[in-house]
Amino acid sequence: MAQPLSRQKALREWKLYFFILPSLLFIGVFSYFPAGSAIYHSFFDWQGGDNKQLIGFENFSRALHDPVLWNSFGTVSVLIVFNLFKMIPAILMAVLIHRLKSDRAQYGYRVLLVVPMIVPGLVTLFIWKFFFDPNLGVLNNVLDFTGLKTMLVHLDKFFGWDVFFANAPIGWLSQPALILPSLFLWGFPWIGAVGVLIYLAGLQSIGQEVYEAAELDGVGPFQKFLYIELPLILTQVRLSLVLLIIGTLKDYGLQLVLLGDTGGPGGRGMVPGLWMYNRAFIAGEFGYACAIGMVLFLFILGLTYLNNKYVRVDK
Amino acid sequence: MSAALKDAVGSRRNRDWPKHLVLIAILCIELFPLYMMLQVSLKDNASFIQNPWLPQPPYAVTEVRRAPVAGQPDLVNIRTATWTEVMDGITPALVPDPALISAEKHFDLGVYRVGNLVKGVKIVGPYIANTVFVALSGTFLSLSLAILGAYFFARYKMPFAGVLWGAFMLLMLLPGVANIVPLFTLLKDLGLLNTLSALIIVGIAGGQVFNIFVLRNFIEDLPKDLFEAAEMDGASHLQQIKTVVLPLAAPIIGTLAILAFLGKWNDFLLPLIVLRDKELFTLGVGLIYLDGEYVKQWGQIMAAYFIASIPLIIIFLFCMRLFVRGLSAGAVKG
Repeated sequence: MAQPLSRQKALREWKLYFFILPSLLFIGVFSYFPAGSAIYHSFFDWQGGDNKQLIGFENFSRALHDPVLWNSFGTVSVLIVFNLFKMIPAILMAVLIHRLKSDRAQYGYRVLLVVPMIVPGLVTLFIWKFFFDPNLGVLNNVLDFTGLKTMLVHLDKFFGWDVFFANAPIGWLSQPALILPSLFLWGFPWIGAVGVLIYLAGLQSIGQEVYEAAELDGVGPFQKFLYIELPLILTQVRLSLVLLIIGTLKDYGLQLVLLGDTGGPGGRGMVPGLWMYNRAFIAGEFGYACAIGMVLFLFILGLTYLNNKYVRVDK
Repeated sequence: MSAALKDAVGSRRNRDWPKHLVLIAILCIELFPLYMMLQVSLKDNASFIQNPWLPQPPYAVTEVRRAPVAGQPDLVNIRTATWTEVMDGITPALVPDPALISAEKHFDLGVYRVGNLVKGVKIVGPYIANTVFVALSGTFLSLSLAILGAYFFARYKMPFAGVLWGAFMLLMLLPGVANIVPLFTLLKDLGLLNTLSALIIVGIAGGQVFNIFVLRNFIEDLPKDLFEAAEMDGASHLQQIKTVVLPLAAPIIGTLAILAFLGKWNDFLLPLIVLRDKELFTLGVGLIYLDGEYVKQWGQIMAAYFIASIPLIIIFLFCMRLFVRGLSAGAVKG
């Protein structure tokens, strides 16, 4: 803890306030002011210029009846479910690495895990966009090569999806029905290096005696995972769960890059953040965009509250 | 850790090789985009379509064809060789080409389109320079201010420190989702639109909360005697930061710096709305621009992506240990 100090000493140390002043100024001007401005302007009809007109709750009632906005909340819920599923490989990978006997192999895998991070995130996105390309793309090539495409076409006929055809390449990012599957497939095999490293750090704190006791009881590998490893990394898992949900709700960079600012064909990839961006910078409806931001903010605030109340991370 | 102890982690009955198999398989898929980027960056579209999966063999085939009109010289066509041609020699096509006189395979490093890389440097080089400038100065200023701020909170419990701390922590709880819209008009009013300083300044502001949070905890854990000894010797607060905080907190500062740098390097939403002039583009906007405008020469595009990754490759080569350790340590501390 910081040392408490007497009034006289504090007066003598008044220069210390200059240490915090710059940071305070920065967050005041570039974090608090925009936040306040967003709340203020959500009650205005505002094109981003000097002219604005107070319209009360009109922006909010418009948002309440905006089908695009509510569909986008539906989409983002699906994406959250996808992302929850995508957490599993990282956990399994961490457990697999942790169970290796050789320390050197463990370190080797850790380094290999970090290697893909040398590619900037945006470049990874663009490489995936290239994978999704209907004609030259890697994904269609792999499906053709392994014969999975024929299977997909048969499944399509059986279920009547009407998206996979034997004689046409699959348009992953151009068919409305395939937008969500593409957003699911994206990033396969979904190993986040940071996540794996964090889980590994948690696993490392498990004492040897726990394993030895389990060994004596004849516990199988799956039960070991369920009763020893999973409970001990639950803190980290919960933490990344919360961060992931809030992150997914907020994020729209992925959709902007892969699908463009209208959310792709049929707007199937539209998420709330992207709709806010679209209204502000494409349509010039800054006031309405602020209101959308407020709605999204309330959702996140509610989730943060629920999280603090029920999923509290115990330390 | 001794092997005997370690044995208990994995089951004694089970061997390690199935785990290695699974891990290697996953890593292969994980590294596949990187592999594709590297090998496609040395191809042109023709050889990419002919052979999308494997790197180009270093052979070219010279085909000589009879000219369609008699009396004119023969047509010479040099193309890249396929792997089957390299392995089995050139076999006649199923439908023989009547005009073909001869086809010869020869060793030729020219099949690797090094020109793609040169072009890549030309395209993304200026973007990289801008991004390095923004990311480096942003990281440096952001961390300098954060160290000062964290020192303020960690050294003494000054009057009002609690309120100020609350002002910082509130931002950690409240996500700034709607901020980008007023931020744009704020930057416009400040005359910062279409400047790199806008990115640096907003970057500094964004990093304060997290960095101060981490650094405060760290500085508070440093032994108090060190500060007091320095104070006895007449060191001012700035000197105390220089002689006590900086050396002892170097690893955590390094980790925070890498995280901040990566964040700024990968950012594209803010540059996208702030920057208009092509000369000012950072990597993020530049790549989006490239993706939209270019006639898809995949080789050149992948080469540009590869060039865009090089600065990070350099950082990782030097800071790999720091990074892996910092992440793990940070995870344990929460």
